[in-house]
Amino acid sequence: MFRSYLAAALRNLERNGFYAAVTVAGLAIGFAAAILIGLYVRHEMTYDQFIPGHDRIFVMNIKGVGTDGKPLDIDATSTNLADDLKLDFPQIQYTARVAGGSFPPAVRRGDVSVSERGFVWVDPDFFKIMTLPAVAGDPGTALEAPDALVLTRTAARKYFGRDAPIGGVLQVDGDPMRVAAVIEDLPSNTSLAGDVFGPSSAPFSAIKQISGGGYLNNVVVTYVRLKPGVSAASVQAAMPSFVARRIMPTFAEVAPELRQSRASLSLKPLTAIHLQPSQGGDQKPGTDVKVLGGIAVIGVLIVIVAAINFVTLMTARAARRAVEVGVRKAVGAERKDLIVQFMGEALVYVALALVLGVALAELVLPGVNAALQRKMAFDYLTDPALLVAMIGVAAATGILAGLYPALVLSSFRPSSVLKGGPITGGGGGRVRQALVVAQFAVLITLVLSTVTIYRQTVFALKDATHTNKDGVVMLFASPCTDGLRDAIAALPGVRAAACSSPAAINMSSTDDLVAANGKKVIVSWAPVDFGFFDIYGIRPVAGRLFQSNRPGDDGAGLTDAAPPIVLNESAVRSLGFASPQAAIGRLVNWHFRPNLSLKAISAPEPPLKPSEVIGVVPDFTFGSVRRPIQGGFFYVGPKTDWFASVALNIKLDPSRMPQTLVAIDRVFKRVSGGQPVLRLFVDQLLLLQYLDTVIQGAFIAVCAAVAVSIACLGLFALSAYTAERRTKEIGIRKAMGASSSDILRLLLWQFTRPVLLANLIAWPVGYAVMNWWLRGFAYHVDPSLLTFVAAALAAVLIALVTVSVQSVLVARAKPVTALRYE
Amino acid sequence: MLRLEKVCKTYQTSEVETLALDNVSLEIGAGEFVAIMGPSGCGKSTLLNVLGLLDSPTSGVYDFFGEDVAGYPEKRLTQLRRDRIGFVFQSFNLIDDLTVAENVEVALIYRGVPGAERKRRVREALDRVGVSHRAGHRPQQLSGGQQQRVAVARALVSEPKLILADEPTGNLDTTNGEAVMAMLSQAAKSGVTVVMVTHSLTHAAAAQRTIKLLDGRVVSETLLAA
Repeated sequence: MFRSYLAAALRNLERNGFYAAVTVAGLAIGFAAAILIGLYVRHEMTYDQFIPGHDRIFVMNIKGVGTDGKPLDIDATSTNLADDLKLDFPQIQYTARVAGGSFPPAVRRGDVSVSERGFVWVDPDFFKIMTLPAVAGDPGTALEAPDALVLTRTAARKYFGRDAPIGGVLQVDGDPMRVAAVIEDLPSNTSLAGDVFGPSSAPFSAIKQISGGGYLNNVVVTYVRLKPGVSAASVQAAMPSFVARRIMPTFAEVAPELRQSRASLSLKPLTAIHLQPSQGGDQKPGTDVKVLGGIAVIGVLIVIVAAINFVTLMTARAARRAVEVGVRKAVGAERKDLIVQFMGEALVYVALALVLGVALAELVLPGVNAALQRKMAFDYLTDPALLVAMIGVAAATGILAGLYPALVLSSFRPSSVLKGGPITGGGGGRVRQALVVAQFAVLITLVLSTVTIYRQTVFALKDATHTNKDGVVMLFASPCTDGLRDAIAALPGVRAAACSSPAAINMSSTDDLVAANGKKVIVSWAPVDFGFFDIYGIRPVAGRLFQSNRPGDDGAGLTDAAPPIVLNESAVRSLGFASPQAAIGRLVNWHFRPNLSLKAISAPEPPLKPSEVIGVVPDFTFGSVRRPIQGGFFYVGPKTDWFASVALNIKLDPSRMPQTLVAIDRVFKRVSGGQPVLRLFVDQLLLLQYLDTVIQGAFIAVCAAVAVSIACLGLFALSAYTAERRTKEIGIRKAMGASSSDILRLLLWQFTRPVLLANLIAWPVGYAVMNWWLRGFAYHVDPSLLTFVAAALAAVLIALVTVSVQSVLVARAKPVTALRYE
Repeated sequence: MLRLEKVCKTYQTSEVETLALDNVSLEIGAGEFVAIMGPSGCGKSTLLNVLGLLDSPTSGVYDFFGEDVAGYPEKRLTQLRRDRIGFVFQSFNLIDDLTVAENVEVALIYRGVPGAERKRRVREALDRVGVSHRAGHRPQQLSGGQQQRVAVARALVSEPKLILADEPTGNLDTTNGEAVMAMLSQAAKSGVTVVMVTHSLTHAAAAQRTIKLLDGRVVSETLLAA
């Protein structure tokens, strides 16, 4: 019996080559897209799970509400925390600190000299917590020596041209360090970052330099590994008393007001870092679980769109199978026999599509990996879970998509169909129409989402930051000095140049408890150079900016007062000034450090000094608009080290950029004594912060395109079939006097109507989805009516173009041909 | 063996009720060859569908081999059809996607006949109707006459007690028509009951009895020479 079914299925597939190809191709593309989406979602959900004992590894997280009322959630902690935890909690096996955000050191070996952005300073026990696979040496003990380094395989090859250069020497900012171990490259699904790992015990390590600030400075990431058998809950339960015992005394002593902030310390699982990104400390951008869920839903929708093709084409062409059904029933087939037959047929289609889909996914995976910056593997033969999931999804698709056509086909009454009479039991016309509406509703929603994500991304990169970054490059220097600035400013092709601290360009954050207007609140502060605001086109909304020709603007000569400051608008509000104008000339008291440096920031806080507010600028940011812009102020600061002055912001003349960039690099090498150049266009730098949004947006756009093409394939086949089915009707209409354009209108309207109906579903759904997504941004565009209208028109246009070829051919045919058809 | 008593069949559409069979009573004996005649729309095919258990009467009694099947559920009717009836249609109704042999085999598949026996019986049936040389071809590759022979083979292969033929020669030329009629007569002689709907007086003459229908009623019965 099954051989007979299989023969009928395969020959039906062969005889209806075009329709079968459309159905199988649609499903194959759908499966390929679903596989890739599945791989991506799984990749994102399994961060750090490859690390042995990951369930015992945690990062210390601080949560709370700041004095400004805004929620606080950071994975950055004090440098003191690791040691205190180790002392107080016998349940903890190892702790290790990781310093991020420091200036990349120059790493040199022979001719290779790199500003190593993958350089990370860690405590020696780091590799005992993260037991990563070793290529050579023992990473667990390698960093016990203060001059030791651990490299990844890629870094080893980069500097030494081989995999295991144990004992090899690298110059790190001029100090010799030797390679003690090499680890395998980190996979892409890890929250850890780094290619070169140096020990915190090195005299010049960033951790050593920033230690000593007590519990006021949250500047390192602290990992802990619990002893086997210890429950995280038991450690967590003791955390409030630890905070009260160890941390609060510092606050009580230095800043009693901070007690209000009620921060809590908690153990955040290593595997949760990527999915629950914090506001600070994370080494790599996390992912938004909601968006990830959205992408997973899109994967399901794509398979549904492809399955709908199957249902519509199978039911549309049901008449062709009517005789077969009639005969089989007449000779004694029961309905269930036919249901089994047609379900089996659906599974044959699906199996074919799965094979093609898998091949397609394998073909495009390298491109997808490159675009998503991931290293996803598709080893379905050695990955039983993946194989079962793929077969399961395909089987479920086959069963669900096959069920309705099977029910329709098996319901034909043999007494009618064998006489060539009307097909009773439902050709599924209404259902088919509903499915086409559903298909287009899905793709209109996807188009809406894509357009909104694009608009938000453009907004985030341009308008929302309130800065003009066109033609501005940042040249990183440690530190950025007046000499470097003046030498580069003098180059032809450079319009202006100004140094800035990392805090001014949102590469780090420095806060202070500031007193003004009878209030004490936490605001951020950042040293800048004269001309910094002008380079980014930032104009004051009240007062004025810093001017180099006005004595005292850089604080020179002031002893009892701190230098004058420029507030942003958020600071005006949080400090309680009635308006930007009202703030001008008023005093703000803060813990001003005259000789600001990385070392100085760790020293005890200096006394409060007043600064005069000379201007107010709009809220601007170089960071992500996912987070609200913090209230802050700027002052002209010293250029002691990279912490005070890290980047030279250079506005270029657009007409001569290439040669200017070459000249800038030359000057930098000369002034810095041959340091490697680290220079980025500011818009590129900003793009890095939105990489997750841009990647996800592009991914959703591609998914939308896939869904659109699958739906178009289905619509094209359906139009071909409809044209074929209505040939006789069209012949009669033409014989009765209808023109080709009348017929064309008739056919096109048939396909336009479901698309218009689809908008009724897609608009509210799209609006709700986009509102939900946009709420994740502190600053965002609003869903625009124009987008909805454009998406609707695009869908209608896509539908019309898809069906027009068939419709025109049929409409132009001579009526006699049409009438002879049957 | 087949007995209809006051059988009515009405079709209900949204506004119109059509009486296709109106108090039809008749009896057909085992091994009898009966021709049903009448103008288009008189209810011939409806009668054949009722006799073939493809349709149920709206009212009346249908005694099918000693069972009143008028109220039987579809499942039971399917079983009876499977076990006892073979069909031949005017438009052949062969499955395009199957070969000639596979088309004939379909009639055995649902009877649960084992594979080897199916093959043998299909071969024999095709031999009987003279198209065994076309066993591997598709229906579209055959002439109309050959297709109808295949259809007859399909009806015979399951060794039914009843063959229902709906204008089996309607689409055939004279030679092929006569060949098909000869096959049906042969089947009747071997003890199978044959009920045939036809417009052709010549082909009706091959039957033992002719029943004429008009407007859903039996208007005359003619007994022909045995």
